[in-house]
Amino acid sequence: MSIVALSELLGAAVRDASGAVRGRVREIAVAPQDHPTRIAFLVVRTAEGERMLPHDEIKSAGVSVRAVTEAGQWDRFSSTDGVLLLKRDLLDQQIIDIHGRKVVRVNDVELESTPVNSHLLLNVVSVDVGARGAIRRLSKGLVPSFTLRALLEKIPPRVIPWQFVDLLETDPARRVKLKIAYKGLAQLHPADIADIVEDLPPAEREAVFETIDEEVAAETLEELDPDVQVAIVESLDKDRAADIVEEMDPDAAADLLGDLPEEQSAEILKEMQPEERQEVTQLLEFGEHTAAGRMTTEFISVVETAVVDDAIEALKGFEGSREAVATIYLTGPGSKLVGAVPLVRIAISSPAAQLSDLSEPYVACAPDTPQDEVAALFDKYNLITLAVVDEHGRISGIITADDVISMLRHRD
Amino acid sequence: MLKSWRVRLALVLAVVGPGFITANVDNDAGGIATYSVAGAQFGYTLLWTMIPITIALVIIQEMSSRMGAVTGKGLSDLIREEFGLRATFLLMIALFVTNFFNIIGEFAGVASSFELFGVSKYIVVPVAAFVVWGIVVHGTYSTVEKVFLSASAFYVAYIVSGVLAHPDWRAAALSTVTRPESAGFRNYGYLSMIIGLAGTTIAPWMQFYLQASIVEKGVTARQYATSRLDVIIGCLFAAIVAWFIVVACAATLHSVGKYTIESGADAAQALRPLAGEYAYLLFAAGLFNASLFAASILPISTAYAVCEGLGLESGLDKRFEEAPAFYWLYTLLIVFGAGVILLPRFPLFRVMVLSQVANGVLLPFVLIFVLLLVNDRELMGNYVNSKWYNVVSWITVGVMIALTLAMVIAQAKG
Repeated sequence: MSIVALSELLGAAVRDASGAVRGRVREIAVAPQDHPTRIAFLVVRTAEGERMLPHDEIKSAGVSVRAVTEAGQWDRFSSTDGVLLLKRDLLDQQIIDIHGRKVVRVNDVELESTPVNSHLLLNVVSVDVGARGAIRRLSKGLVPSFTLRALLEKIPPRVIPWQFVDLLETDPARRVKLKIAYKGLAQLHPADIADIVEDLPPAEREAVFETIDEEVAAETLEELDPDVQVAIVESLDKDRAADIVEEMDPDAAADLLGDLPEEQSAEILKEMQPEERQEVTQLLEFGEHTAAGRMTTEFISVVETAVVDDAIEALKGFEGSREAVATIYLTGPGSKLVGAVPLVRIAISSPAAQLSDLSEPYVACAPDTPQDEVAALFDKYNLITLAVVDEHGRISGIITADDVISMLRHRD
Repeated sequence: MLKSWRVRLALVLAVVGPGFITANVDNDAGGIATYSVAGAQFGYTLLWTMIPITIALVIIQEMSSRMGAVTGKGLSDLIREEFGLRATFLLMIALFVTNFFNIIGEFAGVASSFELFGVSKYIVVPVAAFVVWGIVVHGTYSTVEKVFLSASAFYVAYIVSGVLAHPDWRAAALSTVTRPESAGFRNYGYLSMIIGLAGTTIAPWMQFYLQASIVEKGVTARQYATSRLDVIIGCLFAAIVAWFIVVACAATLHSVGKYTIESGADAAQALRPLAGEYAYLLFAAGLFNASLFAASILPISTAYAVCEGLGLESGLDKRFEEAPAFYWLYTLLIVFGAGVILLPRFPLFRVMVLSQVANGVLLPFVLIFVLLLVNDRELMGNYVNSKWYNVVSWITVGVMIALTLAMVIAQAKG
């Protein structure tokens, strides 16, 4: 078992069973649908055109490649459909390093060769993004290969194991064929995904948002700058955009739709589920810089006669953001806001305890309160959430501390 | 009607910036020197070059900005992806060295403009270096763009000083639009001046900077039409400024037989007794503005281009430990670019010549890469050059390369 670099193999002479040099390696292909890492075949440039040397006919691979078959038996290489070509698709291209959580450029690809019976098994094991791969390629052909190898030994490697590599492919059909699903990326924290996405060119951004799970896409979108949000949503088709916007916090969704050209936000709203659409439309009607424009309509409220157990049931069924559950609101006759119970108090009380006994003095504001006053309330009363009540004293939404922090950071 | 006009203006303003800034930075210390010399030496007779030079500038800049808008990637990224590591590596070394010489030239312009006011370069250059570093490190893209746009507006100083020089408007206008007399072309000095004008107009770094700022601004293919307008307006404004510099020097220096000046500072000095105190002050202030402006842009754009091409971590949002190469390149360019100016007996004039030569050697490669990339259908889709546009742009690039090489050869000889 040994490691061989893609750049060493490219251009290497290929000898067939007779021992004569028949051509040179031009490309190395992986067929992800058959096997995620195994080399499917080498593309060999011969005097008769480009030929495919299948993986199970390779006897050795190093400074030169030996095949177990005659050159005449190698098939013509025609279609690149469904195969990943390591030189074209990987070398010098950008990839996502899941482990390091950033976008990096590939300097070289490392293959592992294992002898099996009469042939050699080649597998992609990692991509080189450091100085070692770069120096290997720059000095190839200029420095004798044994000197080079000795020199490269001294350079600490910077490689990313293949399982932590997510490829960037902007063609949706090819993404399916090459099984690129951004599963690794989607497991990162949405804030980290957002950082990565910001480093990507627009077409690659679009590719990520077309592919990853809607919920993750929605959370990631919320973490991005408003300008970038708009650019991404504009690039997606309306169905997909609506699916993602539905998953967003209603306040974030309303902000985003408010930033979009009216025609486009109307189209997206039309594609959304009625319930989410109604919430977002309500929020859209308020000014963006008021309490109502900043609030979310997803919060927990129970009647004032309820007990702790009822609150816990309500929590279980709640689908909104985690920030919003910090306080559970109590409503009296006519849906009027009458009390607020911090989650902590519920956690430490017995299931049968009356919520009204646990209620604390609460702070509320009117929908048209300017956002600066909202921030002042949070500061003064050390709030985690703030209720927004209408003229009849009914609670229409809440503002959470994280909204206030981002509001303060992005003040125009 | 009024509303649609307003909407359109807002759209233009949202995209204006990169093209306008790039075209104006092009009128840097070296550019001002060349235009001044051209005016002083040949009067109005070289004004006809302004129109073809502007067209060439528009064509080349337009391709770079289109590539930025369509691909969303920088020029060095694209060169790396399409032409591999080795070509990129060599190109980046060349770009680094060339831009280093250019940066020296800009700091020299800063020093000489303040020496006109009697302020020592030992004070001005370190302060300028610090300002350059500060603007970029502490600004976001949009604040930096605002600073740069204001700096671009300050080029109006040259238009005013041109007016104060009381030129013969009729003669100037006529020689701008009429075909030059063929007798002039037999004059070696005249010919090399044409080459100098062309060579100073299109520099390799511009293509990298323009494309990168289009990308950073987030201009997309759909907004591209407006972006093209930005490029055209920018090039026109830059050309008008250049025209006024030539005219100012022609109307004053040339008409009294003062033909030999070597730099922009010389020109300002010589203008003083002829065009008056205000023209002199504006000319000198313009030189300072232009030099500082270019000195702010070159180091950062070089650091970005080199790091992106070589796949090194880059960006001002990163900490020093995260992107050491980026910060080192940036710092070295400023510290040494400004530092060498302070060396006693530094052969400034020879370095300026060298920087022109380096630009000239690098330019053909960059322009050919640009043309190959912009015609790559896999990359550009339907935004590749149309057939006639390709003919025009290859001719433009061919002529630019021929002229620049001629300049390099001429300067290497003498």
